Amino acid sequence: MEGHQRNLYLYDRFNARVAGVSRDDVTTLQYFAAKLGVTFPLLSNVSGYLGLDFGALAPGRPFFSRRTVIIDRKGVIRYARDGSPDFHEILTVLKKLHEEEDGP
Amino acid sequence: MRRFPIALLLFVIMLPGCATMTAKQAHSPYRIAADGDIVWRGEYRFSPPPKPWLLVSLDEGDTAFAYLKVVSGEPLCQSTFAYSEEPFGVSRNLRQRMKEFYRRFLWAGRVTFDPPRTRPVTVFGREALEATSLGRDPARGEKVWTKVILARRGERLVAFFMTQWQPTNGTFDRDEEKIFQRFIDSFRFLKPSFYQTL
Repeated sequence: MEGHQRNLYLYDRFNARVAGVSRDDVTTLQYFAAKLGVTFPLLSNVSGYLGLDFGALAPGRPFFSRRTVIIDRKGVIRYARDGSPDFHEILTVLKKLHEEEDGP
Repeated sequence: MRRFPIALLLFVIMLPGCATMTAKQAHSPYRIAADGDIVWRGEYRFSPPPKPWLLVSLDEGDTAFAYLKVVSGEPLCQSTFAYSEEPFGVSRNLRQRMKEFYRRFLWAGRVTFDPPRTRPVTVFGREALEATSLGRDPARGEKVWTKVILARRGERLVAFFMTQWQPTNGTFDRDEEKIFQRFIDSFRFLKPSFYQTL
């Protein structure tokens, strides 16, 4: 989360918006946001349907696996990776998508 | 008119203190130049400290590398210094970032730090900030001397930091700070960072 917060100025430069999704309740997320200094939205999805839709919730598991998904402005998933975020890779993809936006 | 933005969605597990690790590279990330300097991934060049300092941490988490010196005794004392490309914290303001750094520094220990003493310094020809603080771990009967230097690389901040552990009644070896400073003075970037190329 800290890495994403650190990169917010670059996400903004590439016209990207970031949100975290967790199965924790709103009160817990408010606590984490305050403790970690996170200013981007953290979405509470207790029922877990978003995790199912995006492949981050394995059957029988109580919480999401770590997954990063990039969705372009047309709603198409352009990037999905499990595990710890690879910030260089994420920023490279965002830069490419932004250049596509500005293209002919 | 503002266009509809790209969305970056993160599925997260909220576990405090959950460390992340990156996979170790199969190949050595450094080579030794003819003059003895270390060339790290073609990104940095620096003079290594003399023995018995050992290179110990190879690209784990956000610390690119660290040196360790172990001093025999009871309890076992150790000193470290490191360069971090992504130091703790998020701010690009030197003073604010220093506060954020010390909030997380040595988080796994039970160290209570004195308020850090700061002073402006110059690193890589640009403004930087140095902080020193004494930490205490009364449960283990240890104390730790810390020095942190936040410097600028492009738009972002990088850090050099050192720790020196001693028993509560031990004496710190100030010569290690000179070795740390020589390491910083020798440190050069060989090319723009990834972030500078975006």
